[in-house]
Amino acid sequence: MTQSMQTILNGLRLFRWFTLRHLRRRLLRTLAVLVGIALGAAVFTSVRLAVQATLTAYSNSMAHITGTSDLSVVRPGGRVPDGLVVDLLRHPAVQSASPLLSAYVRPAHQETPFLLLGLDPVLDRNLRRWRLRDPQAGPSADWSALMTHPYTMVIGDGLAEHFGWQPGQATPLIHGQRTAEFRVIDILAADGVALVEGGRIAVCDIATFQEFTGLHGQADWIDLRLNGTASPESATEIAARLPPGIQLRSPTARSESGRGMIRAYQLSLTFLSFISLFVGMFLVYSLVALNAAARRRELAVMRASGASGNLLFALFVGEGAVIGLVGWLLALPISGLLVKHLLAAVSGTVSMLFVQVQVDGLTLDTWEVLLSFGVTVAVAMLAAVQPAREAMAVSPREAMAISTAASFRPALFRRLAIGGGFLLVLVYPVSQLPSPPSLSLSGYLAALLLFVGVALLAPLLLRHFGRLLKRRLQRLGGQPAALAADYLRSSGVQTAISIGALITAVALFTALVIMVHSFRTTTILWVEQSIAGDLYVRPKLAELNRFRDPLPPQVVAKLISVTDLVDLVPMRRLELDLKGHTHLFEAMDYADYTVRNRFIWLDGDPSRIAKAFQRGQGVVVSEVFANRTGLGVGDPYRIQIGDQQLDEPILGIFRDYRTRGGAVYYALTRYQERFDDVSWSGVQINVAADAENPAAVMDRIRTDLITCCGAALEMIDGRNLRRAIVQIFDETFAITTVLLLIALMVAAIGIATTLAVLVLQRRRQLNTLLAMGGSARQLRSMIFWEAGLIALVGQMAGLASGGVLSLLLIFVVNRQSFGWTFLYRVDWTTLLLAMPLIFAAALLAALPAVKLALDSAPAALLRGGTP
Amino acid sequence: MQTTTTSAAPPDSERSIQARDLTRIYRVGSVSVTGIEGVNLSVPAGQMVVLKGESGSGKSTLLSLLAGLDRLTHGALTVAGRDLSAPSDTELTTFRRHAVGMVFQAFNLLPTLTVLENACLPALLAGANPDTAHTKASDLLSWLGLNDRLDHRPSQLSGGEMQRTAIARALINDPGIILADEPTGNLDSHNARKVIALLADLNREFDRTVVVATHSDLVDPFATMVLALQDGRVAS
Repeated sequence: MTQSMQTILNGLRLFRWFTLRHLRRRLLRTLAVLVGIALGAAVFTSVRLAVQATLTAYSNSMAHITGTSDLSVVRPGGRVPDGLVVDLLRHPAVQSASPLLSAYVRPAHQETPFLLLGLDPVLDRNLRRWRLRDPQAGPSADWSALMTHPYTMVIGDGLAEHFGWQPGQATPLIHGQRTAEFRVIDILAADGVALVEGGRIAVCDIATFQEFTGLHGQADWIDLRLNGTASPESATEIAARLPPGIQLRSPTARSESGRGMIRAYQLSLTFLSFISLFVGMFLVYSLVALNAAARRRELAVMRASGASGNLLFALFVGEGAVIGLVGWLLALPISGLLVKHLLAAVSGTVSMLFVQVQVDGLTLDTWEVLLSFGVTVAVAMLAAVQPAREAMAVSPREAMAISTAASFRPALFRRLAIGGGFLLVLVYPVSQLPSPPSLSLSGYLAALLLFVGVALLAPLLLRHFGRLLKRRLQRLGGQPAALAADYLRSSGVQTAISIGALITAVALFTALVIMVHSFRTTTILWVEQSIAGDLYVRPKLAELNRFRDPLPPQVVAKLISVTDLVDLVPMRRLELDLKGHTHLFEAMDYADYTVRNRFIWLDGDPSRIAKAFQRGQGVVVSEVFANRTGLGVGDPYRIQIGDQQLDEPILGIFRDYRTRGGAVYYALTRYQERFDDVSWSGVQINVAADAENPAAVMDRIRTDLITCCGAALEMIDGRNLRRAIVQIFDETFAITTVLLLIALMVAAIGIATTLAVLVLQRRRQLNTLLAMGGSARQLRSMIFWEAGLIALVGQMAGLASGGVLSLLLIFVVNRQSFGWTFLYRVDWTTLLLAMPLIFAAALLAALPAVKLALDSAPAALLRGGTP
Repeated sequence: MQTTTTSAAPPDSERSIQARDLTRIYRVGSVSVTGIEGVNLSVPAGQMVVLKGESGSGKSTLLSLLAGLDRLTHGALTVAGRDLSAPSDTELTTFRRHAVGMVFQAFNLLPTLTVLENACLPALLAGANPDTAHTKASDLLSWLGLNDRLDHRPSQLSGGEMQRTAIARALINDPGIILADEPTGNLDSHNARKVIALLADLNREFDRTVVVATHSDLVDPFATMVLALQDGRVAS
């Protein structure tokens, strides 16, 4: 064995003797820290796994639908003629072309919608994997039956399981105003298209689909697969041959926008979950720093016996690594429990806010597991670095001293404060750095700088606080209070850094309270002003089918016939794509709209906007759209709609909290004239202000609509819609609240550990006080004063940094991640109620410390010798 | 002592000490405190040196310089043939591993290690094979009468046993020089005599140079050199 190998093995042996045995001897203390770090790691791991599973499910669904296609032919704001397939197939570079139609439909008498895909079974075989289940599993039909037998479909096993459908079974399906009976001819093998949306999918022949939906001769898009010999110029050639208004796109473009939104959501949850781990970092610091301080003499003896400084550094960083490793292992079962609940919440939120996704199960992503392991161990090791540096600096000469005391180095205070100040100065410039689309890296980095900066400033803060308050406290609480202030003033960096756990938790609490309150207040204001109608009417499953299908003409006719009773605000909505930014394009009448609703303007001159908008001389865009695209007032909005180009300046920017990429509004009459499209995607119905009995009017309208074409419509009461939006908002923040509670829990463990550590470090000093005539009551009082002062400093610093963090979250992170900002509103009631509770919790956390302080006989602790 | 426990005495150069104008001044804030000043010393191999003096006279400062636990402010110092006038950290670490063995007043055993492991510690730090180190430590501890205490923790030992374990630890790497700082300071008179007898044995039977800083007179009969320190200077 080489000498270096022997040295490493001896080092490991010493690690077991010196470090692991010590951790085992201080089991309770070690366990408390392990629980803290395990909770942090569990939250981080489970959040990442849940969002990753959602992202994977969405990506897989989109990938299975995309299949092996190289290009897609689309018509922005409309559908493509399926006859184009013949022309496309004539092009020498095109190997295969397949038209597709898709829509969410639902069985009659069932509320659960599912995706129905219409394709040409022959043309599509080269582009997508889909096959019937193994014939050995039961009698299997021939897929060609899809073409030979109208209104037949094959279904994924998820759908078969959900509805209990079997081959041969017939069931009526509803789409828009149409209902038709479909027969299941077989079940798809769990492969390719059958895995889309967790198997809740059905496939039928495109001709059947067209007949069912009335979309004769149309396709949503046509997928192309090119020959192996196709050159890069082939795409340009194909595009040039397409009729006006038809475009060639990458097949992945459809999913990029959705993936981007999920990734932004993932990053925001990752940040929030990392806070728990960050708070856990302070716990590791506390434990390792205590061990380094309490074992100073042992370290000196090690040095005197020939241990190098580097060896001691490695032992303490190794201690951090072991805590990280064991914490991570303990986190695994906790993650297992958490992830199940989080998965449902995360996929629900993503479906509600961004894109429809069906997560059927959790896959253990190796990268995510490695990431959580790496982050947990790295965080714990990082927390151990400073104590390890202190340990390696212990002089061997201390071995000769009768007793050792932790050193107190004012220079270190200054260095840390300068470092902290420097990081705080960087917060604003870093927050303004450009970030990748939808990923607020600069915002999160700025938030991290804020946390670390404040933690580094804490020692100086504590010192000045102790100095400032000593006399006042002496008057208020006598000698114990003065001693407590004195101790805090001179207790050293370790105490102050430990308070960082509290500062971080309080900052997170404050920031989230402010952010959620601001968001909620703004959303309610927006809902009240922008969704102020009495009744909203739209086609069935309109939201799921992204308003592609307009209201049936008979509905429009019926509504027009009652305009003497109600005011109508019709709108035409299209989902468009501007340079990769999917957004909603909505044509509506400004005058009609603003009778009941208000825009909350962020930019632009409202008086000028109204006139220009009504003349069709410009568009107004939502804040989300503006931030996503970088377009502002005065910039041109250029978009292809069908075979025409719309090119109008942006007149104004308004607040809007719809989540699917932002919105652009244009004048309805001008839209109808220019694009020859008079259909309505939906309508807002308002009872006239002078109506004698508004409720009766509304009842009559409802009854008329239900009688005429109820099966094809969704009618939503305005009040219910407003309530539902606020409810969705509250549900969205349920995950945030859980993450916050866990961070606070870890911080509570942090406070208890910090206080226990403070007491343990000073047992000799405390017992000297007892020996000098101090009473147990005075000692208890002193420790409670310390706890109170620590909580006070932690809360003050936490409130201040929480205020800054809330600004970062609202005006940087939310803007960069989701494109919106909110009105800044501080929820003073919650904060003022919570702060005394946190303070009381800090005092409660002091109880174990008090017990520890009075645990040993003074004589035993005052005696010298080997501890 | 069994024949396997120690090698033959190292060469004279590794057992001698030379100091010229040895000075150590500490800075405490803006104040300078003199530990020792202008100490000249020549200790040939195989001596039993007793450092005497009041508290604060500079005994411990001198001993910590000789043990490579501290750095001198100026002067020249050669211990066990190594120049300690301006050593690097690595040189000092190597010096402490091989050149000297140190015995402390407070024993300074590591509480998480057993008696055997404590005795092995310097050997392992020096990169020795653990089996060889264990065998050697067992032999030393047997010689010191601790063979039934090998797996005990320091908290389970008496003061005398702890100090004998510390002596085993000091001897494990076969240093030419043993340095002891008030080795009997925490012991009763019976154990104090036993420890002094052991140190004297190391000097007389095994030709190690032994330097003892002490207030006690117990070591006087065995001393070959007595150095009295006063206010950081050699008084006699």
